[in-house]
Amino acid sequence: MLLELRDLQVSYGDIHALEGVSLSVAEGELVSVIGANGAGKSSLLNCLMGIVPARGGSVTFQGKDVTSLPVHERARCGIRIVPERARVFPRLSVYENLLTGCYGIRNSVGLAGKLEWLYSLFPVLEERKSQLASTLSGGEQQMLAISRALIADPKLLLVDEVSMGLMPMLVDKVFEVLSMLNRDHGLTILLVEQNALASLGISSRSYVLETGRIVLEGPSGELLENPRVREAYLGL
Amino acid sequence: MQLFFEQLLNGVAMGAIYSLITLGLALVYGVMRILHVAHAAVYTAGAYVGLYVFTMTGSLLLAVPAAMAACALLGTAIERLIYTPLLKYPPFVPLIGSIAVFLALEEIFRLVGGPYILSFPAEFPFPGITVRGVVISPAIISIYAVSAAVLLLLWFVVTKTELGLAMRATSQDREIAGAMGINSSFTISMTFVLGSAVAAVAGILVGIYFNQVYPTMGAVPAYKCLALIVVGGLGSLPGAVLASLLLGVGETLLIGYANIPLPRDSLAFIAMIAVLLWRPQGLLGNR
Repeated sequence: MLLELRDLQVSYGDIHALEGVSLSVAEGELVSVIGANGAGKSSLLNCLMGIVPARGGSVTFQGKDVTSLPVHERARCGIRIVPERARVFPRLSVYENLLTGCYGIRNSVGLAGKLEWLYSLFPVLEERKSQLASTLSGGEQQMLAISRALIADPKLLLVDEVSMGLMPMLVDKVFEVLSMLNRDHGLTILLVEQNALASLGISSRSYVLETGRIVLEGPSGELLENPRVREAYLGL
Repeated sequence: MQLFFEQLLNGVAMGAIYSLITLGLALVYGVMRILHVAHAAVYTAGAYVGLYVFTMTGSLLLAVPAAMAACALLGTAIERLIYTPLLKYPPFVPLIGSIAVFLALEEIFRLVGGPYILSFPAEFPFPGITVRGVVISPAIISIYAVSAAVLLLLWFVVTKTELGLAMRATSQDREIAGAMGINSSFTISMTFVLGSAVAAVAGILVGIYFNQVYPTMGAVPAYKCLALIVVGGLGSLPGAVLASLLLGVGETLLIGYANIPLPRDSLAFIAMIAVLLWRPQGLLGNR
């Protein structure tokens, strides 16, 4: 397994966001975690990244316990995140935002080639490369956040609610790109989403998170047929 | 007219020195959101170390780097020992810590350097120049040259280097900067190194310009430069430089020409109040 969480717990003061989550992601998989607002999806990814400390449990990445590693060292291990609401650096240019993505490893990732690839994936970023990131639209900021994560050649890509606030057409395009990255480039992706239909559609396995606990898991195709999922998350 | 130009030159020189101190504050505020009052004590320490090394060796070329190194060390020590442990508390706690460090350092300067004004008898190895009757002293020339070089260097570091990128990213979103592989605590320490070394240069320039080094020489700059980062726009580096230059010129000209019954040091605070009333984001601030 590339990534294994065991009994992961996160709390903010007295509020428990995650109450013992266990899940795993194998190399080359695209796994999704679906859940409603406040189920703990973002806490899960932020804790995995090391932005939020775990109160209990463990995170193992490539067979190594990274639970106590600070965030920047986890990034160096090859875990990258597309944060909720993109969180691009507003007062850096688009190009500088991309540079932060490969901070300290600019030479080993082959910056010029990476930029060319990302600009061909999202041509709008090349058009706006010298603009401040705060002047981009919501969708463009998401594309920038995805590119900022991809430029580092991650071993594991964490994607947090990338569909939030995007036009349906753009959601399709972003999901298509994620699916392509997984299929054609073998990129391992862990996706958390409120948009259950789209994420079940592109992932091979899924977990359902409710109030800080995993309540269901299985192949995405089976979850699509599950009556509980259909009623609660697909509105069918 | 000659007098006016001489006053103007003096004013810009004062402004340049203010900007060297204020930039350190703006950098620190940017990455840590702390009002670094003790920065003015680092500046005083720079003047003392510079003076001691100069007295021992007779060389400014040794005194300046020695003071910069000592201040870089002092600045990071304040960051590591005082600010970082206090960051988890509300912002007024590190502020009180900063004021305490500032006062403690002033007392240490008094104990070590003595409670009197020391002179800084540095001679510059070049003459002053006179342009159409306007006398430009070697001290003024040095202040201009050194501040321009330091400002240029800082601009280069902040906008063109990976460290500068890390500093700007950390100041805009520390968590996400970390998620990009940027070691934010190292970046913050380097920010203190940079700001404190620049403050040392300012301390030495002031010591030579006024030929005075004394324990409380940082007292007025401590609060004046806080006012300046507010006027410039909190965390904005161009704003800090602009506000400093305007204040230097404003102070010198107002005191020289307008017969206002206020001490010169009040101008910074009047400007701060005015800015807070009419442009709370500061001259060049965002949001």
